[in-house]
Amino acid sequence: MYKFWISLKKEYYLLINDKTGLTLMFLMPLLLVLIITIIQDSAFKVVNENKITLLIANHDKGEHGAELVSMLGSSGMFDVSEGDAYSPEDLDRMVSSGKVLTGLYIAEDFSEKLDLKSLEFSQSVISNMGFGEEVSGEKVALPSIKFFNDAALQDNYVYSIINVIYTHLNVIEISRMVEGLYQEMGYEEIPEDVASGLLSQKIEIERYRSEESRPIPNSTQHNVPAWTIFAMFFMVISLGTNLVQEKASGSFLRLKAMPSGFALVMMSKQLVYMLVGALQVIFIFSVGSFLFPALNLPPLSLGETNLGGLLLVVFVSAFSAVSYSLMLGSLSKTQEQSNGFGAISVIIFAAIGGVWVPTFVMPDYMKLLSQLSPLHWCLEAFYVLFLRDGDWRSLLKPLYILVVFSLICQLITYLKLARDKVI
Amino acid sequence: MSKVLIDIEGVKKRYAKASEDSLKSVSLKIFEGEKFGIFGPNGAGKTTLISILSHILPFDKGSISYYSNGNPIDFKSIKQCIGFVPQDLALYDDLTARQNITYFGALYNMDAASIKRRSKELFDLLGLSVVADKKVRTYSGGMKRRLNLIAGLIHKPSILFLDEPTVGVDIQSRNAILTFLDRINSQGTSLIYTSHHLDEAEKLCDRVGVIDYGELIAVGNISDLLNDNGAENLTQLVIKLTGKEFRDNV
Repeated sequence: MYKFWISLKKEYYLLINDKTGLTLMFLMPLLLVLIITIIQDSAFKVVNENKITLLIANHDKGEHGAELVSMLGSSGMFDVSEGDAYSPEDLDRMVSSGKVLTGLYIAEDFSEKLDLKSLEFSQSVISNMGFGEEVSGEKVALPSIKFFNDAALQDNYVYSIINVIYTHLNVIEISRMVEGLYQEMGYEEIPEDVASGLLSQKIEIERYRSEESRPIPNSTQHNVPAWTIFAMFFMVISLGTNLVQEKASGSFLRLKAMPSGFALVMMSKQLVYMLVGALQVIFIFSVGSFLFPALNLPPLSLGETNLGGLLLVVFVSAFSAVSYSLMLGSLSKTQEQSNGFGAISVIIFAAIGGVWVPTFVMPDYMKLLSQLSPLHWCLEAFYVLFLRDGDWRSLLKPLYILVVFSLICQLITYLKLARDKVI
Repeated sequence: MSKVLIDIEGVKKRYAKASEDSLKSVSLKIFEGEKFGIFGPNGAGKTTLISILSHILPFDKGSISYYSNGNPIDFKSIKQCIGFVPQDLALYDDLTARQNITYFGALYNMDAASIKRRSKELFDLLGLSVVADKKVRTYSGGMKRRLNLIAGLIHKPSILFLDEPTVGVDIQSRNAILTFLDRINSQGTSLIYTSHHLDEAEKLCDRVGVIDYGELIAVGNISDLLNDNGAENLTQLVIKLTGKEFRDNV
């Protein structure tokens, strides 16, 4: 037990002397998680938030503008705010600055033109049916409204929003036309059942969401685990170098002449670096929980998280990172090889694994490619924790893949060191 | 007559992808309390032999038996009885000398108190007490060599293998190391030693073996070998036995 303790202490001393490694494992992810979360937050909001912010400048002197505002407000799709004093230029500026995603400008003659157009239509119908005089004169122009949208919104998404506005406009327009028809036929107002029917006459669309469809994380739920995993795998710089140095210095050869084996040394290394992985999680998750709210970013909440699942995911992720680092250290002949290949491979794994850009926005072939990255499976496991309440059944697949990956790395490490007669 | 310490019988070794054996059926007896030197040109097989004897390398054929007071030492105990001082400085530069030695002592199954006592004794004897808590990175070449020696001796081995223990050190460190080796030998530690410094070897060793092309071509007391081969010193002897041509392998 004493020699195991001393072996752990030796690894600890080597680690705290590795200033570059510590910086890469703690400071770099701190900066990355802050910068990238801030940058990506608005994009995640667009994808995630149920309501689209809509600023309406209603300059209409009649009642239809207010009616449209009310309908859009109660549609459930928009988070409507009214800024009646705003001009079209003001709205454009507000949307461009990112304060709101969309803006709607209703001109002062909106109701007047809509009423005139409806009246013209009603008179035309009555006349065609032979009950009134033929309508002559200049055609009335349809009213128009101005719509502004954030450039970050995709076109198909914008068309969906515009169609929703059209739907509500149609309801007002048709109501107004039917009212006109009744008036032309001598009724003072339309019967109540007709009026209510106009508003409620909708075919109901039943929506079914696939059980398999995945919930989308917010910027914090994505970035905090993503950069923690990235930092864990970046231990390849420190641990890979550590192993290369032991090989190069002849320390492993000295070990062969000693009664204590290679297993003790490797176990100590792995344990110390797995503790480093756990510390990285505590550190970066704390930043997500306590610092993010102060920066107006969504806080990381572990309130409902499956604690046992979280510990297991952290353990398996750290084990994967340690195993990968040892494998690279064993395959490298020099510190430069280990650092260079280690850093580049982790960056590539991060890129294809969805650390930088989440896999749910990737094309299908990239989604397939992402499955080659161990970082992807670590991230998947964290998504299960944050978005699926740590469901054990869903955790099984990523954890199984990571354990297999780790064991393969460990086996390669052992075989390579044995082949080089280092152990 | 002294008791046999190591009995080497027909040991052969060929490295992977090598076309020739590095050791060709080497047989040799080393006795308890000896200071035995193994000499020869570069690539002759010295380091291979000493690495096999210290259990760093496996061998292909033959047998090696270790004894203590005439009794065979069982395989599991051998590593506890031997110390190894490699040619490469197998030390951790970012640790202090004390941390290095504590680590190696623990790997030899020593407890904390024994390590503390023994390391203090060795640091004092080899003049490293004052700098024992400084990082090895800051040490001179001579200090590192002395620390390398301490790492191989921390557990009081009965057999110490030394592969070029004085390479690249100044005369003061070399003198300190050789004096120290004489001292521990007089206290019962057998020394098996290789070096290119044949003058120092001549002073240190009782018996030597000259190895060339993987074969042991001469073994005996230094004076007997010098007389038999008409050489004035060990350098002349080795040159006579192995020739003058360069042996550097590219």
